[in-house]
Amino acid sequence: MSEHKPRKSNETKMPKAFGWMAEYADEQNLLVAARKVRDSGYTQTDAFTPFPVHGIDEALGIKPTILPFIVLCAGFTGLITALLMQWWTNGVDYKYLISAKPFGITPASIPVAFELTILFSAFTAFFGMIFLNQLPRFSNPVFTNPRFDRVTDDRFFLYVNAADKYYNRESVKELLSGTHPDSLDEVLDDNTPSTLPRPIVLGALLLVLTGLIPAMIVLNMRASFSTQPRWHVFFDMDFQPKKKAQQTTTVFADGRSMRPQVKGTVSRGQLTEQDPYYLGYDPSKLSADDASTVVKYVSTNASQDSASQAPASAAVQATPAQSPPPQGATAPAPALKLPWVDKLPESIVEASNIEANMKLGKVKFETYCAACHGYGGFGDGLVHKRADSLAQGYWLPPTSMHIERVRTQPVGQIFHTITKGQGKMASYASSLNPKERWAIVLYVKALQRSRNANIEDVPVDSRSALENEPNVESTK
Amino acid sequence: MNRVNMATVASNYNPREIDNTADVPGRRAQLVTGNQTYSSITDMVCRVAEDPQPLLWYVLFGFSSLTAVMFLSLIGYLILNGVGIWGNMNPVFWAWPIVNFVFWVGIAHAGTLISAILFLFRQNWRTSINRASEAMTIFAVVCAGIYPGIHVGRAWLAFWLLPYPSLNLWMWPQFRSPLLWDVFAVGTYASTSLVFWYMGMIPDIATYRDRSKSPLRRMVYGLLCLGWTGSSRHWLVYEKAYTLLAALAAPLVLSVHTVVSFDFAVSQVAGWHTTIFPPYFVAGAIFSGFAMVVTLLVPSRAIYKLENLITLRHLENMNKIILATGTLVGLAYATEAYIAWYSMNQYEGFTFLNRQFGPYWWAYWTMVSCNVISPQLFWFKKLRTSLFWMVVICVFVNIGMWFERFVITVTSLSRDFLPSSWGYFRPTMYDGLMLFGSFGIFMSLYLLFCRFLPIIAMSEVKGILSIENHAAHAHDDSHGQSH
Repeated sequence: MSEHKPRKSNETKMPKAFGWMAEYADEQNLLVAARKVRDSGYTQTDAFTPFPVHGIDEALGIKPTILPFIVLCAGFTGLITALLMQWWTNGVDYKYLISAKPFGITPASIPVAFELTILFSAFTAFFGMIFLNQLPRFSNPVFTNPRFDRVTDDRFFLYVNAADKYYNRESVKELLSGTHPDSLDEVLDDNTPSTLPRPIVLGALLLVLTGLIPAMIVLNMRASFSTQPRWHVFFDMDFQPKKKAQQTTTVFADGRSMRPQVKGTVSRGQLTEQDPYYLGYDPSKLSADDASTVVKYVSTNASQDSASQAPASAAVQATPAQSPPPQGATAPAPALKLPWVDKLPESIVEASNIEANMKLGKVKFETYCAACHGYGGFGDGLVHKRADSLAQGYWLPPTSMHIERVRTQPVGQIFHTITKGQGKMASYASSLNPKERWAIVLYVKALQRSRNANIEDVPVDSRSALENEPNVESTK
Repeated sequence: MNRVNMATVASNYNPREIDNTADVPGRRAQLVTGNQTYSSITDMVCRVAEDPQPLLWYVLFGFSSLTAVMFLSLIGYLILNGVGIWGNMNPVFWAWPIVNFVFWVGIAHAGTLISAILFLFRQNWRTSINRASEAMTIFAVVCAGIYPGIHVGRAWLAFWLLPYPSLNLWMWPQFRSPLLWDVFAVGTYASTSLVFWYMGMIPDIATYRDRSKSPLRRMVYGLLCLGWTGSSRHWLVYEKAYTLLAALAAPLVLSVHTVVSFDFAVSQVAGWHTTIFPPYFVAGAIFSGFAMVVTLLVPSRAIYKLENLITLRHLENMNKIILATGTLVGLAYATEAYIAWYSMNQYEGFTFLNRQFGPYWWAYWTMVSCNVISPQLFWFKKLRTSLFWMVVICVFVNIGMWFERFVITVTSLSRDFLPSSWGYFRPTMYDGLMLFGSFGIFMSLYLLFCRFLPIIAMSEVKGILSIENHAAHAHDDSHGQSH
């Protein structure tokens, strides 16, 4: 289009001639004529036909196109792109673990690789055709001849371009006349203005500018700050018609969206908060006075948090483990006054289970407790010995099970100590289930009994054997 | 040559149906009837868009565009309310939307099959029907593409299907999922078919341009045809590109429904997890696509008086393909059932008995009678050359193919491995209206296509006519050109 401009300005009066165009009624005549023109040595020729005429390439001397090679390259590009994309995205950049299958290129990559090969090739075939044919070309001198409108209907045209190096206006005309065309016209320059009409340009400009408005608004919003809430085009699940905790409601008379428990019901997990088996004390016997409410709160929630106050009281309570338990030591008042369970649960002590539970308690005690408290429960475990040998001044010795204060504790309190921890000792609730904790209590009670037993505790028929034993620890 | 014929035929159009289905041994049957010339073909095809449309067109377009508007409104309603308006419910979450998707993708197969595979096999009769069926392909893909797009729930995020690193997670799609393969397969198919269709139309749009009286029409068609001149140098590249596209589209068309079948076959649901699915789906797709082409072309050729271009022989050929693919589909059903028994897999066995005699027995037997039994009627020449019966059978075939996808999708999901999760799928009103509405989109696009674009590949028909004439010419008197 633009290449014609200088020519046009040179010859303002006479339109520039681009060559000769001969018209034929059927393709056979065209082929004969085309061969004649080719044999005369012209190469800047073309034929215009309503359909691809078989043999015209040979008749005009048109070389085969390189399009297939371009498409082949595009196909390989598509294949490699697809394989690299799948390898990199799923095997390198964001690894997907799917059934322990290998990363990278697997048989599962075949479908996408195939489709992209086709996609790249097909689009290259199309756009390659457009490119090689130098389309789109809307202004073309061949259109100046009104007869040329029938080229897409039923007419066949042969064209010799003036750009041919052997071109001579008269001789080409003579040659083409010799082929008995239906008409023979000179192809003249297109006189219609090559620029687009102003309204179309303005309209297109307006359309483009209007189309930019939404993008501009979005860009402006992204770059600026606003005190208004975010504008939600789609709500997704951000706003749901539901009440959250601590919100008010008009549905209930008390205006609370959180509902109190319905009388006579037990909620999930509530059993462990109410049954003595899980607590070591009976919450139903808690008196309603303020002091015990506070105690209850402290005992259930803050036993570990009260570590700061614990060492002080524990230090007073504690006695060195190596030294024999001080007899008749005045135990400080227990920190907790709760309605302790004073009997082991029935399921622990019933005759059929007690043997197994004792063994279970021994195993668990030696696993979890003995490290600090020692196998005998004197508070002389390995951890204590090691800490003591390091002579760290702040080491707080573990409590002996055999001091008066502990010996007189109800079983519920021992259970509670295991469950909630005491002083420096952590809670063992997450390591030991309630049954195991009760089994440990059972075992601890047995330990205490054995370490503080006198001869009356030994069955009558075994006493003599015991008294003859020289190394037996003399009891008080 | 044929100057006399040209004049007479072009002016004296004979609308009488010419039966060219008889085979004379040693002679090729004519592809176009009525002694056509190049200009008479141009006239016949261009008249479709140039003449005022018949009243029927306006009635049909009014109805189908209203249906399409209803469909689009329902999509809006769906986006506002969520996919809960459909009947999709545990355990059948792949219900009608996926059934409709597979149904439309299947229909989309005929166009490219006719354009590409029949082109590669040099089946010249394809030239009269390929354009309309390619258009049908595009429109069916449009309908098909809508369903997965809105079935994802948050349709405004459907672009997450594309391979891009998501904004906040920098996470890529999972390329080992058949659902992603589907995105690539259907996407490639849609875009390649569009390119194929458009490229095929360029010379014919140029014809429309050159016949246009109004400058606006001339400009629009001129822009659309990219300034096509019919230059032989252009034709050479064009034909090469067309052949390449055909060669590329032929395996593509087979791959698309293969990948769609992977959506099912790669899973482990009984009744889906079978290796027969790819060929079975492809045969079914060609089957339903051809049935749709016949259903559309029979009225189109009657309304636009194209009986001499889309002859009875064309329709008969298509009916033969329907018969062949319908029998293939029947064979696939039988093979599936046989393997369900032969594999001794109790889940497969149960699934097939459940399909046939379970709560969806009606869907299964509708499918079998429409897909296996009804095309068998095409063994009778009287039926496959009767316009009425071929339309009836083809409508039945499409009903049956919809039910096939329903049977596959719904029966397998509604009763899977865990009997406690069994359920019965019930569609809602919106399911039904949105299936119906998709036909509105499809028909509106097809009617607009008839109104504005060349519905028959004129240049290809002329090319075939030229070869035929030339062959006849060379036979009659042996002064044929040497080349």
